[in-house]
Formats: sequence, C-alpha cells, structure tokens
Amino acid sequence: MEAYPVKRRLIIAAAAVGSLAVAGCSSSSSSSTAASSGGTTSASAAAKTCVASIGLEAPITGSVAPLGQEQLHFAQLAVAMDNAANKTQITLVQGDTQLNPAQATTVSQQFISNSSILAVVGPAGSQEVEAIGSPMGRAGMAFISGSATAVALTTGKYPTFFRVVSKDSVQGPQDANYIVKTLHPKSLMIVDDQEAYSTGLVSAMVPVFQAAGIKVDHESVSQKVTDFSSLVAKVTPATSVVVLPWQIAANAQQFGRDLAQQHKTAVIFGTDGLFSPGTFTINGSYVSSFGPDITAIPADVAIASAAKAKYGSFGTFGPPVYAATHVVDEAIASVCKAGQTPSRSNVLTAIKNTSEPASILGQPISFDSHGDLVNGKFFLFKINSTGKYQLIPSS
Amino acid sequence: VRGDGQELRRMSFFFQELVNGITTGALYSLVALGFSMVYGVLKLLNFAHGDLYMIGAYVGFFVIQWFGGAANVGIPVPLLLAIMFLLAAGVSGGLGVAIERFAYRPLRDAPRIAPLITAIGISFFLENAVLLLFGAQYRIYNTPEFISLSSGIRIGSVTIDTVQIMVLVLSAALMAGLQLLVNRTTWGKQVRAVAADREAAEMLGINVNFTISMTFFLGSALAGVAGVMGGLLFNQVTNTIGFIIGLKAFTAAVVGGIGSLPGAMLGGLLIGLAESFTIGYISSTYSNLLVFALLIIVMLVRPSGLLGQAQLQKV
Repeated sequence: MEAYPVKRRLIIAAAAVGSLAVAGCSSSSSSSTAASSGGTTSASAAAKTCVASIGLEAPITGSVAPLGQEQLHFAQLAVAMDNAANKTQITLVQGDTQLNPAQATTVSQQFISNSSILAVVGPAGSQEVEAIGSPMGRAGMAFISGSATAVALTTGKYPTFFRVVSKDSVQGPQDANYIVKTLHPKSLMIVDDQEAYSTGLVSAMVPVFQAAGIKVDHESVSQKVTDFSSLVAKVTPATSVVVLPWQIAANAQQFGRDLAQQHKTAVIFGTDGLFSPGTFTINGSYVSSFGPDITAIPADVAIASAAKAKYGSFGTFGPPVYAATHVVDEAIASVCKAGQTPSRSNVLTAIKNTSEPASILGQPISFDSHGDLVNGKFFLFKINSTGKYQLIPSS
Repeated sequence: VRGDGQELRRMSFFFQELVNGITTGALYSLVALGFSMVYGVLKLLNFAHGDLYMIGAYVGFFVIQWFGGAANVGIPVPLLLAIMFLLAAGVSGGLGVAIERFAYRPLRDAPRIAPLITAIGISFFLENAVLLLFGAQYRIYNTPEFISLSSGIRIGSVTIDTVQIMVLVLSAALMAGLQLLVNRTTWGKQVRAVAADREAAEMLGINVNFTISMTFFLGSALAGVAGVMGGLLFNQVTNTIGFIIGLKAFTAAVVGGIGSLPGAMLGGLLIGLAESFTIGYISSTYSNLLVFALLIIVMLVRPSGLLGQAQLQKV
C-alpha cells in the first residue's frame, strides 16, 4: 500500500471533490456517504465485486461537534478518494456519539447488528473506546481511532482496537519535558477539562513536573464552561506556564484573553484540540499535537486543498481520521484484490497486517500486536504574533 | 513591608474574584428573570430558555459580521452594540412568543409534565436547528478587536474592563426597569393578576393570552440581551452554550425563589459569587459541587427559595 504520488493525488482529489459535490453529500444532510463512482466501465464492474460499508463513530453533534464534524469530513474525503483510486464501492455510515460512552455503546450495537458494516473508524474519545471495546471484540469488528490516546486502551484487552495516533504515555512526558527544559517554570498551573483525554495527559505530565521540583497548581474545569475569569485570577505572578490539555480551542482562546485582561503573562501550553489556527491564536502559546499540520506536508497538498475547498479550515483531528479510514479502505480493497469477499474477519486480519510506508500523517503506519501505532510521533508548534503555527523542528 | 505586600495581593485577589463573580452573576440573573417570569404566569419550567440566550449570542455575532467583522467595524462601536442588543432582544423575544404560541399554549390545560417535556424537546430542537443552519464551529466575537482589553478601570492589580462595566450597568438598568414595569404599570398589574389566578384575571377582562405572550417576549428578550453580553464577555458562540447557562439560571431562580423577580436577581448574584469564590479560594474542581450544594441547602432551609413565598394550599 504505497502512498500516492502528488500528481495522482491531485487528480483523485479533484475527482473525489467533484463527485462529492455532484452527489450533494453534505455533512448535515446525509446519514450515509455514498461512494463516488469511478466514472469508468471497468470501475463499475470492479465496484460490483468490492462493496462494503464502514461505520464512523464521531461526536457529530454536542459540545465537541467542531472536532467531530472535522473527523466526519475527512472520513468522507478518504472514502471518496479511496473509492476513486481502488475502484471500490465503500459507503460510510455515520454514528453520532457526542463523545458520550453510553451513546457510543448504542451506536456500536447498531453497527454490530448491521452485517454490511465490516469495520469502524472511531470513536474519538478514550472513554468511548473503553465502553465499546468488549462488544466490538466479541463481534470481531476492527475499529480504528484517530484520536483516542489513553494508555490503557492498548494493553491487549481490546483485540480489535487500533489507533493511528500515539498514546498519552508518549505525549504527556514529552510535552512535560519540553516545558521543564525549555520554558523553565518554577510554578505552573495545569487545568484538565474533566474528560478522560485531558485527565490522562495530566496524569502523565504531573509526575515529570514534580520530579523537576516545579510547584504545580492542578485545576479542573468542565468543557462546557466558558468563563475563566475567576480561574485566571488564581494565576500568580510566579506562574509562568499554564498547561491546557483541552479539546476546545475556543475555550483556550478565551482563557488567553482573560490572562491578557488581567495583565497576566503566563504562557499557554496546549494539546491536540487547541491546534486550530483560525480559533486559537494567542501569541507565544505552544500546541502539542498528535497530528501534523498537513498543509505543510508537500505530499498532502492535494488532500489539504480538497478538504479546504469542500469544508473550509481544519485542525489536527481530521487528518488522523483520514489515515484511519484509509487503512480500512485499503484493507477492504486488498481483500477484494485477493479474490475474497470482504468480511469482518478478513478485513480485521488485513488491518492487522497494515504496512503503509507513508501516510497523510507524514509517517509510516503499521500496528504492533496491541493495536498501537508503531513509532508514533507528536508535533510541537509555537504560535507567533500573527497567529501562525510554526513547527518546532526538534519536536 | 513584605507582609503588607502579601496582604495587598490577598485583597486584590478578593476584589478581582468579587468583580468576576458579580459580572457572571449579573448574566445569570438576567437569564433567571426570564425563567422566573414564565414560571410566575404559567407555572412552567421553560427549559428552552437557555437556548434563547444562545440565539441572542448568535444574533450579536452576525451583527458584528454584518458591519464588517470585529477587526473592521464600519460603524461607531456604541451604535454597533445598540444594534446587537436590540436585534438580539427582538429575535429572542419573538422566538419566545412563537414557542409559547405554538408549543406551550396548546398544552396549557394539559398535565404539567406535558409542557415540561415539550420544553426539553424545544431545547433540543433549537440546539440542533442551529447546528444544521450554522454548523458546529465556534463563532468568535473577537471583542478585544473593537473594545480594547486595556480600556476600563484598573485599581492596583484589580481589573474591570469596559465590557464588564457595560454588563454590570446594563444588567442593573434592565433589572431595575423590569421591576418598575411589573410593579408600577398597568401591564405589570395584569401580569401579577394572571400569575395569581389566571381564570379570575380572565373574568376581570384581562387579555390573558396577550399578557402571557408579552411575558414570554420580555423574558426571552432579556435572555437574548444576556446572550450578547455572554458573547462579548466570553467571546465564543456555539449551539450548545445555552445548556449550562440555562441550568445555572434555573438554579439561580430556584435559590432566589422561583416566581420572584428580586429572588431571581439575588439568586443569580449568589450563584455567580459562589462560583467565583469557590474557584478562587477552594478549587475549580469543586465549583459545580458547591454551587449545587448551595441549592440543596437553601431548599432544605427555605423550600420556597430565599425570597419566594410559600404557597397556601386549600384543604
């Protein structure tokens, strides 16, 4: 499964975007994404022999819908582009989990009982993976998350789970060490957003800070809160860094505004969800992300352009879902190419054997025996005075 | 000297949290007033009320875009703000009237659970309708682009910016105006009459439907105005922002005594201050815990709320 050359990607992207537009597949109006046609006789002949559905579990509505919508858009794009490239007829069935484990369980049961669905992309949250891991395992259905990073997910208890991003035990200490060695705080505030993603990262970071002798003020605030003025008042003059492992960039932007309003000079260090160039623009802040800025990867120009043209600006939650969807698409295509009828079992085996030398994420994709991405990387950015994200090369 | 410095910092911190608490509390109070007014006349817990706050916030955002965007406002800022507030009040107020007319009025004589469930349904409907219409992305007011963060008052390290001052002054004016309207005007008398006994009010020739519609309009308009204030203060708008503020405002209305307008104002301020001081002096982790513990304590000590009146039951 080789990465497409740039030119081929451009052609595929153009075809995919065109077909999406013609089909009128909008995120808001369709409950499933029909595959785009290959446009040739041979394509339709091949499509007849390689028909399958994959499920997408994402927070399409609810408080983190901006992330979920981005994930949906990139999954739709991947399906359209892969169908065009592989001459398959894969359809995407949407499942809205609202980042809620109970909702994720309901959606998963629906997917499991739908025999045409052979694998699932998602869910987004680690807490959701915990909720659905066992039933998905019993059903023998592969599921690949583009954003669940909790360490506990890949201890072997969920044999059909995979992820295309690295885990908290890599990101947490890596970020914490960068803060200790580069920003040299004597005192810092770390604020979790009361979700498993955030508390997991905090748990991985705090021991590093404490070992370095840094005074840590650990606070906690719900994702739904938008008023941080009282919390910001607690940032002392000695507090030089505020760590926000959050999923909602707009909240961090407001936090930064409250810091400025109260004349506080602490630097914000955020993670993943804060990578949102149009939303989080506080000068001097850092953002660590499990996904790269694909607009800066030459091989991803076609995908980035297609995504921007169709859906507008995006952050780092979409590209990993594109990568996850692509893995599933390629697994199904490889089963078809081998002359077999795709099933949950042979698609699961094909996913386990994934070996992509290059991907949208700027790194190879293969999985270890527990479903973790081999040699997963994290990317660190600093925001400059114009709100632009600059990659810190050493990261 | 070092001790004096620490004492000064402590005092500054206290006053900063006080300002933050009163500002947030004023917002809660405005939304709580609508809750209380509607409950007063219909005995209905209008759970869609928080979503009218959300609609108001969206209207404010779109007005900013209309006039060139935050960085490039094409009209004087006071005029922009006036248009934002008036339009948000009008749209939210009108929507409140429409909701009452088409969703609640047909259920006026139904068991109380029916309009309650309808209210929850309306809330979900509004949230998802906005999601479909405007998408999931956060809309950012970018207030500092047209109202500088450095404007306002700074005493020592205590900062009260222009937006906070505006929120406090406007909230106080609206609350005072509403009090006068309800207590000193004929329409206010009619509202109180309908709240006391709807059937008797009708027999006295009061147009009950009109009075209830106007009550919805005013309560919803206040929520719309609060939505713009929230947008200016917190900078962000999305389709789910009404939920948490609606919950807090409902708590404020209950703590103050649901149905009582001064109670709603007091409840809002108390909740805002409780949140602010809990975050400041204890931990942000426990702010919701303590706010709702306050609700439970008040309910145990005064089941009708701080300024509410116990209802007499005929036996």
